[in-house]
Amino acid sequence: MGQPPAGGAVIAFAAPAFLVAGLLAALVPVALHLIRRRPPSSAPLPTQRFLTEDARNAVRVSRPTDLLLLALRMLLLALAGAALARPAWLPAPEGTSEIVLLDRGAAMSGGAWARAVGEARRALLDAEGSARGELVVFDTAATHVPRRRVTPALFDSLAAARPSSDRVDYAAALRSIRGASRELRGADSVRVTMLTVPRWGGWSAGMAPLRRAAWPGALAMPELGAARPAPADPASADSASTDATAADSADDAPRRAMVVASGRGGQFAAPALEATGWRVARTPGVDALPTEGAGLYVVLARTAPAVAAELRRRAEGGATVVVARDAVTEEVRGMIPWTGFALDDRAPGGIFLDPELRIDGASNGVRGRPAEGARVIAAWDDGRPAASAISLGRGCVVFAGTDLEGGGLPFSASFPRLLDRLGRGCESSAAPSADADRPLDAGARAVLRGEGPAVVAASAVEGAGGGVQLGRWLMAAALAVALIETFVAYRRRTA
Amino acid sequence: MSASADFLPPRLLERLGGLEIVAKTVVRGFQAGIHRSPLRGAGEDFAKHRDYQQGDDLRYLDWKLYARTDRLYVREFEERSNLQAYLVVDASASMDYAGEGGVSKLRYATYAAAALAHLMMGAGDAVGLASFGAEPRLLAGPRSRRGHLHDLLLNLERLKAGGSGDVADVLDRVGSAMPRGGRVVLFSDLLEEDDGAALAAACGRLRARGDEVIVLRVLTPEESGEAAPGAGLYFDPEHPARVLPAAPRQDPGYVRRVGAYYASLADRLRERGVEYVPLSTATPVEEALVAWVNRRRGAP
Repeated sequence: MGQPPAGGAVIAFAAPAFLVAGLLAALVPVALHLIRRRPPSSAPLPTQRFLTEDARNAVRVSRPTDLLLLALRMLLLALAGAALARPAWLPAPEGTSEIVLLDRGAAMSGGAWARAVGEARRALLDAEGSARGELVVFDTAATHVPRRRVTPALFDSLAAARPSSDRVDYAAALRSIRGASRELRGADSVRVTMLTVPRWGGWSAGMAPLRRAAWPGALAMPELGAARPAPADPASADSASTDATAADSADDAPRRAMVVASGRGGQFAAPALEATGWRVARTPGVDALPTEGAGLYVVLARTAPAVAAELRRRAEGGATVVVARDAVTEEVRGMIPWTGFALDDRAPGGIFLDPELRIDGASNGVRGRPAEGARVIAAWDDGRPAASAISLGRGCVVFAGTDLEGGGLPFSASFPRLLDRLGRGCESSAAPSADADRPLDAGARAVLRGEGPAVVAASAVEGAGGGVQLGRWLMAAALAVALIETFVAYRRRTA
Repeated sequence: MSASADFLPPRLLERLGGLEIVAKTVVRGFQAGIHRSPLRGAGEDFAKHRDYQQGDDLRYLDWKLYARTDRLYVREFEERSNLQAYLVVDASASMDYAGEGGVSKLRYATYAAAALAHLMMGAGDAVGLASFGAEPRLLAGPRSRRGHLHDLLLNLERLKAGGSGDVADVLDRVGSAMPRGGRVVLFSDLLEEDDGAALAAACGRLRARGDEVIVLRVLTPEESGEAAPGAGLYFDPEHPARVLPAAPRQDPGYVRRVGAYYASLADRLRERGVEYVPLSTATPVEEALVAWVNRRRGAP
């Protein structure tokens, strides 16, 4: 089905041959009635000798005897043909239409909100004040504003209102694009603009694949100014990244981690943790813990019962204890968030920590399931839980269902992120540990902005510019006609 | 007879069942409709007097009794007849034709013949039965004994239409099987190949013998043209191979030709002293018989 022609609304057919076939088929019942000529049946008449021959009566032209049934049958065939032709009502073309995602979360306080509303007004209203696109207002949820309500008065009221105190959820905004695009029936192309002051608070796990699925092009994200000083050159992702990294560095003091292992254990885990910003120490053995405390203990080997008890105490005091599969002892088993623990030496496949982080190379796993109240923080390829976390006192205990330094796992580029994620096991999301008000760094902005053209052809967007599909309604009408025809034919036969 | 609405339509007669019931029903209606018995003839014996009623034949007034009593009485006679009669029913294929929603001509003729047999045997006449269709047949000789009526009705009931009969042949056979001075009543549609020449000749021969000959022509409204059928292909049941496309309803010549045929045939029959009675299957049997008898007796 091509683009609608310039001018008014039209009915377009994706497969017009079916329409022609249906109309021709509708003529068949008429043709059968009109074309068929056959001799009339002869009748006795004893006074036949007194008749004069009338050759016009030598053949009989059949006429439709039941016009209602004939009409129903023709209608049925025509409707079926029209339905198979996949008709669609296409409104008058509108050119490029806009979808504006307006953030009204807490981050929009100050002048950002007024500027965002102004941007939305400019994008959505033409000179006459008529809407030329769809407006979605979002914070933790997205609300699609019907086009008839997108008026200058709406923007006046939005400008007068204050943004909400809720955090935002960019995932909700991205998911709303598809619904909004379906309303753009006359658009030949679509541009999506997100008006927000990007904050980590709106970020959530799986943002990158969600972003790719939500919209095939790039989002326009005009700079609205933020509570924090904007980068000197907002267009430069590199400089923004540099600034954000600098800010992160200023906020994050190195955190202390301890790798509990024996022998050469911890030779991969320790540097991996250091790569993600931890200041790491290694215990000399598994029989005792240094008195100096740490925020994170990564237990890679079986420990003495006293050490296990000490780890529990430190977890209750606020530390996070990550226990690998090979470190589980009877004493530790009561602490880890796992039930039905049993070794399984088969290679379990890759580990998913979130939709964006998958690590291959695990050489073994365990059977069992997370304990009651524990949270699954990683899963195997087949969906079975791979790691779980549970709060213990003021701290956290994490169980990793594989040998963290076994197989090819330590050689994966994502190994440091795996350990970092396990070390934050009781945190609620995969977002960086910085607070939600921290601005998105350049990489996250790039993910949110996406790649591709800023203006996307409507034909590339499912549902957009496709008009109203009429095929299923015509098929339903054909079924209704078929039922009526059956009923009428039955009545005729039994009358 | 007060109103023709009292007569039963032939279609209704068919539902009565056996021919005996039909005959009695027809005769009852017939007797209620006639002004007096058509079969009262010579050779009657005095039975009794009764009061004169309007319509009685003045010839039977007893004037002597009137002179003595100053009241009008008519003399009644016991009917006694030596008349021998033959009912000849056409059972050729064309008689099977019924038209639209009516009874077949054969069925109609059967009703009329049964009624006449009932009447005539009631009057003491000896009645026989003959038919012609596939072949001419003398089905029952003239008898007047009790129970013969049942035989006649049974034979009438069994008649099946078929073939193209030879009416002259059966009339000649009837003539030879019956003493002179008898009565022959023919029920037929009179559709003869020779335009009725042989029929007229046979009737003439019977008349020459001194027989009374009555021809009751039975025809459907479709045949007579009163309700001619629409356009189509038509064949003569006696010659089914000859199919003719025609539109009788739109053909004014059809009625004219049918009428001319029967008028010509009627003229020839009347020339020979044959009583010709046209009947239509659309008319109730007893009504047709009453009209005929009344007409015969000169009543209005």
